[in-house]
Amino acid sequence: MLGPGVGWYVLVAAIMFGTGALGVMLRRSPLIVLLSIEIMLNGANLALIAFARQTGSLDGQVFALAVMAVAAAEVAIGLGLIVAMGRRGLALDVDRATALKG
Amino acid sequence: MGEVLVWAVWFVAAGGCLASGVAVVSVTNPFHSALALIGNLASLAVLYLLLSAEFLAAAQVLVYAGSVMVMFLFVVAYLGSRADAPWAGGPPLLRTAAVVAATALLVEVVVVLGLAWGDNLRDAAEVADGFGSPASIGRLFLTDHLLAFEITSIVLLVAAVGGVVLGSTPEKREAD
Amino acid sequence: MVAGAWTCLLAPLAGALAITLAGNRISRRTAGWVSTLTTFLAFGGALVAFLSLWGRDPGDREAVSTAYTWLAAGDFQVGLEILVDPLATVVMLIVSGVGGLIVWYSMGYMAGDDEERRYFAYMSLFVFSMLLLVQAGNFLLLLAGWGLVGLASYLLIGFWHSRPEAIAAAKKAFVMNAVGDATFALALVLLVWETGALDYLGVFENVDTLSGTYVNLVALGLLGGAVAKSAQIPLHTWLPDAMEGPTPVSALIHAATMVTAGVYMLVRAHPVFEAAVDVQHLAAVLGVVTLLVAGLIALVQWDIKRVIAYSTMSQIGYMFMAAGIGAYGFAIFHLVTHAFFKALLFMAAGVVIHHLGGEQDIRRMGAGVRGALPRTHLAFLVGTVALVGLPPFAAFWSKDAAIASTLALGGSLGWTLYVGALAGVLLTGLYSFRLYFAVFHAQPATAAAPAKDHGHGEGPPSMLVPVGILAVLSTIGGLVSIPGVWHPFTNWVGESGEALVEPTTTQEYATSAIAVALGLVGLLLARRAFAGRRELVARPALRNVLEHKLYVDELYDALFYRPAVALSATLRREVEEPVVERSLDEIGSGAIQVGGEVARVQSGLLRTYAVTIAFAVCVLVVVFVAVR
Repeated sequence: MLGPGVGWYVLVAAIMFGTGALGVMLRRSPLIVLLSIEIMLNGANLALIAFARQTGSLDGQVFALAVMAVAAAEVAIGLGLIVAMGRRGLALDVDRATALKG
Repeated sequence: MGEVLVWAVWFVAAGGCLASGVAVVSVTNPFHSALALIGNLASLAVLYLLLSAEFLAAAQVLVYAGSVMVMFLFVVAYLGSRADAPWAGGPPLLRTAAVVAATALLVEVVVVLGLAWGDNLRDAAEVADGFGSPASIGRLFLTDHLLAFEITSIVLLVAAVGGVVLGSTPEKREAD
Repeated sequence: MVAGAWTCLLAPLAGALAITLAGNRISRRTAGWVSTLTTFLAFGGALVAFLSLWGRDPGDREAVSTAYTWLAAGDFQVGLEILVDPLATVVMLIVSGVGGLIVWYSMGYMAGDDEERRYFAYMSLFVFSMLLLVQAGNFLLLLAGWGLVGLASYLLIGFWHSRPEAIAAAKKAFVMNAVGDATFALALVLLVWETGALDYLGVFENVDTLSGTYVNLVALGLLGGAVAKSAQIPLHTWLPDAMEGPTPVSALIHAATMVTAGVYMLVRAHPVFEAAVDVQHLAAVLGVVTLLVAGLIALVQWDIKRVIAYSTMSQIGYMFMAAGIGAYGFAIFHLVTHAFFKALLFMAAGVVIHHLGGEQDIRRMGAGVRGALPRTHLAFLVGTVALVGLPPFAAFWSKDAAIASTLALGGSLGWTLYVGALAGVLLTGLYSFRLYFAVFHAQPATAAAPAKDHGHGEGPPSMLVPVGILAVLSTIGGLVSIPGVWHPFTNWVGESGEALVEPTTTQEYATSAIAVALGLVGLLLARRAFAGRRELVARPALRNVLEHKLYVDELYDALFYRPAVALSATLRREVEEPVVERSLDEIGSGAIQVGGEVARVQSGLLRTYAVTIAFAVCVLVVVFVAVR
């Protein structure tokens, strides 16, 4: 394979995953949190595809495609939730969604 | 020559990926954040191409950049100023803990990579030209991974229905 | 014959069940009839069994009938089996016959009581339990019957459960019997341990092969049960208190049948006792001690039923004495005659009590009673004379034969028992006639007035006829064994248990002469004391001791009851409250506290959850890498 070895791609994927995780844990706007989740998912996808290339089996790519579909579905629902929150006048603040307390 | 080119492309794409990732997570304006994500997706597509995943690169651009990001931008536009996302507070312990967790994760992955770098990650397999083409992926979806294919379609259906339910107006729902 | 025996056993049970299940749907009189008729049906079954057994050749008179295997554990098997042999049939006839008469009598005595149905159900239950005890073919069923009669006794003593004295008496009876049951059960455990069987034949064959100490322990355990059930010293204090129950109950359970179960068992298990001769002789000694002590105490009692109760205790002492020296036939003979005259005495006393509206103090009875109840007076006189043993009444034949057996035994033991038994005859004469004169001849300062609502004179036929029948039996019932002439009774019983001692005719007649003389002396002394309006026991110190029943109750109270109460109070204070209750509270509040602490994790902040997940993933990565 030309260019960097699979390990480099995985490293990039890991850094992306970590960045996304930081975003999920540190931001308060649900919209940004959703975007951070997308970053994490993409990191995972990159790792899957890199390993698919490494082993020469297409299963990793198939898996990545399924992840992509699920991510799309999840974004749809997440955005629907945010819109519903906005419609009801609830503050778009993750720290204010404390109904799970107790 | 080809090697150098690939490395150069890789650096650019990887750099773009990481930079846009950081940007997504850190900027305050959600619109800019979404745009940064589009850049992230494009860089990723390039990386996929380097990894002989042509179909996936195309799908990434079409699905993610094409539809998911459009949905994001719609919502940002709809919410307007309500979507503003300042870096506001939260318990300080939480913030340090978050940073520690993410760092720990990263360190672990790096360690594992380092351990495996020599043996498992040494040589990538030789792949045929059709590796990553729509035909081969399509064949897999319709044979070995048929169940995953079908279930994914059901998931998408459910998401669509859920989206409609979530989006229905409160007044209409109370009238039910 | 076996069908007769099973009918005898099961008819009263069916009666009890029928009354219980029918509940309020049948009238009280119907309940009484059900109980009476099923008991007489049992008598019929017993009669059938007896007659068919009689028709067989001697030596062939034994039948075991097993319904099914009740208990099986490895090699050890216990069947629901009944044994029909001469001894069993005699006692079956007595239990069902006298029992039937008493239940019939109860119909008149208990008429008008609110809980008659419960009474008759309990009476039928008792008859069934006693028959189970008698007909049992193995020790385990004997123990089952043993326990059941104790239960029936408890239920019937405490029948009028609104009276605290009745409840206390019932508990006392049950607890003392439980002590006996415990020793009995331990003896059975030993038997199973060593012989591996509990059926009579298996045990009796093997008993000779067992070691001395071991057989002594078994016999002691059995004797303990007998002593408790038959109210012999030292487990006798429950019997006088048991008089709190209705008078028919006292007649049936505490005179005719249950208290004689101990004697029955001594005779039934005689091979075991013969192998442990010392324990057998101990039974005889206990019998004589009891008959003397009970006779002495009876001299100062003023409750009519209590005098008769101590008399019962005393007469059972005679039975124990006879069984303890091996005169099994005479022991059972005295059991039979005693059932007749003691039940008669109780039932006649019951008529008197009924007539006086519940008065039981003999100091308040007198000549007026004799005038109002002439037939009862005659019946009571018959019973008293029979008890003292004047010829030709029943106990003359049975008691004197038992005493003569001690003479036949000889030796220091025999002579001691002989003298004690004869002294007991004197005491019997004294207290019986003291009672008779006080109830029917006295002119007390304050006489009890007849009850206002006794419209039936001496009682309805249901009360008079059984009394009459028992009076007749008390008169002629002893004639089945006349020394020197014929001994059908002892021969019959002897087939189940060969007597170890046989008095000669001379010995019997000599003993009878002395006994009758002593009885008459007792009568005369009582008469003189009555005429002089004196009490028989005048010296205050002696009187005090006897009135307090030799302070045995107080002794047991101090030895057993107080320490037990103190121990339980201490345990409650020191263990139950601080440790058990508090720890349960602690568990509860601890759980709440822990829950509260754990609930703080549920902060509601989504971001904390996300951080927690991230940390968990870090840990999992390490785990996966390490495990791989």
